[in-house]
Amino acid sequence: MNERNGSLRATALSRSYAGVRALDGIDLTVHRHEVVGLIGPNGAGKSTFVNLVTGFDRPTAGSVLLDDVDITTWPAHRRVRAGLARTFQHGHTFGALSVQENVEVAALGVGASARTARQRGTELLELVGIAAQARRDAASLSHGDERLLGVARALATSPTFVFLDEPAAGLNEEEIGGFAAAIRLVRDERSAGVVLIDHNVALVLGVCDRIHVLDQGQTLAEGTPDEIRAHPAVAEAYLGVLDVTGIGVS
Amino acid sequence: MSAPETTALVGRRPARLVLGRHLVPLAGPVALTIVVGVASSAFSDSVQLQLHTALVTTAMVVGLSVFSGNSGIVSFGHVSFVGVGAFAAGIMSMPAQQKATVFPELFGFIRDNDLGNVASLALGALVGGIFALVVGTALVRLSGLGAGIATFAVLGITRNVLRNWSGVGPGAKAIPSIPQTTGLTQATVALLVCIGVAYAYQASRWGRRLRASREDPAAARGSGIGVYKERLIAFALSGAVAGFAGAVYVHLLGSVSVDQVYLELTFLTLAMLVVGGIDSLWGAVVGGLFVSLLNSLLFEGEKGLSVVGIDVTLPASSSNIAIAVVMMIVILVRPRGITGGRELRLRALRRPRRAEG
Amino acid sequence: MKYVQYLIDAIALGSLYALVALGIGLVFGVMRIVNLAHGELLMAGGYTLYETNGWPAVLRVLTALAVVIAVALLMERLALRPLRRASPTTTLVMTFAVSFLLRSIAQKRWSAQGKTMNLFTDLNQAFTIGELRIKYLTIAAVVVGGVLLGAVTLFLDRTDLGLQMRATASDERIAQALGVRANHVVVGAFVIAGVLATAALVLFAPQRPVVTPDFGLQIAILALVGVVVGGMDKPSSATLGGFFIGFANSMLFSLLPKGQRVFLDSALYGLVIVVLLVRPSGLFQRETVTSRL
Repeated sequence: MNERNGSLRATALSRSYAGVRALDGIDLTVHRHEVVGLIGPNGAGKSTFVNLVTGFDRPTAGSVLLDDVDITTWPAHRRVRAGLARTFQHGHTFGALSVQENVEVAALGVGASARTARQRGTELLELVGIAAQARRDAASLSHGDERLLGVARALATSPTFVFLDEPAAGLNEEEIGGFAAAIRLVRDERSAGVVLIDHNVALVLGVCDRIHVLDQGQTLAEGTPDEIRAHPAVAEAYLGVLDVTGIGVS
Repeated sequence: MSAPETTALVGRRPARLVLGRHLVPLAGPVALTIVVGVASSAFSDSVQLQLHTALVTTAMVVGLSVFSGNSGIVSFGHVSFVGVGAFAAGIMSMPAQQKATVFPELFGFIRDNDLGNVASLALGALVGGIFALVVGTALVRLSGLGAGIATFAVLGITRNVLRNWSGVGPGAKAIPSIPQTTGLTQATVALLVCIGVAYAYQASRWGRRLRASREDPAAARGSGIGVYKERLIAFALSGAVAGFAGAVYVHLLGSVSVDQVYLELTFLTLAMLVVGGIDSLWGAVVGGLFVSLLNSLLFEGEKGLSVVGIDVTLPASSSNIAIAVVMMIVILVRPRGITGGRELRLRALRRPRRAEG
Repeated sequence: MKYVQYLIDAIALGSLYALVALGIGLVFGVMRIVNLAHGELLMAGGYTLYETNGWPAVLRVLTALAVVIAVALLMERLALRPLRRASPTTTLVMTFAVSFLLRSIAQKRWSAQGKTMNLFTDLNQAFTIGELRIKYLTIAAVVVGGVLLGAVTLFLDRTDLGLQMRATASDERIAQALGVRANHVVVGAFVIAGVLATAALVLFAPQRPVVTPDFGLQIAILALVGVVVGGMDKPSSATLGGFFIGFANSMLFSLLPKGQRVFLDSALYGLVIVVLLVRPSGLFQRETVTSRL
């Protein structure tokens, strides 16, 4: 795996829909070997941000740089091949393909050989903990497993940066512990930069190195989990309503 | 099946399993083709001709399914590629000295040359493939209704040009004197070749990527799959297979005119694909042969048929009506076709696995 | 003066295609179905006119109207209503099958040989204004076309059913959640499409007096080209597209030299593909916001 210190940088990223500013001048840099949390209330612009950076939507202003190369106008699949993977909030599995094939096809998508694809499939299903379902049709998975499959599929493209869009929704507490461990493994052993979006604040505070808080399309705060926890505006806008006691997930 | 066993299977994948994975889905279509081919020799000349037509038409359906089956996009325009393949092979198989007198307006290199049987088949595939590649660059950007209408438009353009451009073809007339080399052997081998190509594509990385995009285009892009490019590869390949089938077809007919490769053939091949099941190669082959068989039975029935001692005579030209009705019933009752859209599998019987875990 | 003559002929043909296109557009609006069998409504009416030859003209037109509406409703009830939840592609294939079925039945019943409809042939006579030669049919086409288009517009604007149709066309699910009965709306759309198809048929009959199994297909395909070019989503843009395509077809036919005229079809089909690629929602319609992920 490539060990150089890469970065993914969004500068002044903005998106308007019919005059409404969904995202307004966001600056965010992610390095390899780190997990960055992206949190904020519903409608804050988190998914818009992911779509813009991964090429599923075009910004009205601003740019996206991968290792200092401007990729703002690249189509999504080209970004994936350059090392930028994502999961989806709403399923988006290849329903009629088996779980194993779902992962294999993502490896094939970035040019892996059929054999490598098979190995990667087996390995990654183990990693996210759904190896037992390998031969089922993806359409038959539970919502929680569907999201885990999404994570395995994103990792099958050997990303240097990966965006996980609410991957833990539908998991129970025990499963969340295992999932947090898997995220750290992706950071430490695959040297990837991870952007984690999730409503489970405990998971985000527990696993992230840095956290970026969005509110109404703008940056509300950024910093380490401790700084975020202590940040008055964040507590008011977001954390205050939640139970933050279960932080020690690790 | 317990979890450790599953992982062991996908992990090492013993040779037996790889064989089973590829042999069974391929064996079904191949066996069916050979059975129909061999069986045809037991019948009268007219029935033989119908069975050979069935094999060749099924080859066209296989060509159509290379694109539609893997991409999930229905094309109304594939008979265009059958048509250009048929016309290319036909006009180049007509003896040169005849062409000079019958079609003097042809371009020189078309008028003054002719080709042997195999070379003309290769030409059909080449012309069909190139034509599909050219129109495909635009069409692969569309899906759903847009793709349906645009492919229909391609069919209209192809017919309009073939019918009126006397530099490349016979115009409104038919191409005569094409050697009738397509008999039992050529029809059977041609269908087998098409099935082989279609299966090889389907099992390849390109085929697998395209099928993933059929399931979910957004997720496919998110997996690094360039959907348009994958569609274009399939479109060009399916055009080549269709063009090849068209070339084989003219060598069965002996002559061809524009109206033989237009709406009626479009309807027939589409009906075959829909009736068999659009999602799989097995569906294309079963549908092609099944509808052909139905067609032949009705045709014989119109002449008067003796069924278990009772003489039945169907009213004339009812076969198109019957096929249309069968197609509509299949769409309503079994929308994934009589094969259910799956490849043939031995373990089909123990497939429902979602109850466990 | 020659060009004014061309212009008048083009407007007349444009009006006829606008009627057919509005029928296709209305059905698409409320059902999201491109009905490839729309032309067979004209064909059915055409054979009805042939079979009723010798009856009083008004009675013949009313009989044709009844037959066309009956065929339209049968089509909707038997083939399309069960597919309400199917994909657009499935329904497109279904309407193709319906079209083929109806043409096969016609071929079997009346053969591929044309049959003469023999209706209002007097309308082919013309009067002259200076150098201009104007057929009574041209006047009829423009008047009937205009009146019917106006009537449908009033219907959509002013009646309860029209309002429900527009609501369904704009968002079917919301409309149904608000209590719009989908079947009423759809049946309404097919009845109106039938009326418009019959009107177009009656106006086509004097100038194209021979009905064949492909009679309707040829008209409907060109109208469909217009609908796609104009924009399928709104009845008004579909109608405008239909008028445009009939107008352009007539104009180009008059202007092009004979050698190029034969490729006119190719040019129109090519136009459809270009519009689908460059402006999928049509020329006469504002671009809608693309769907978000």
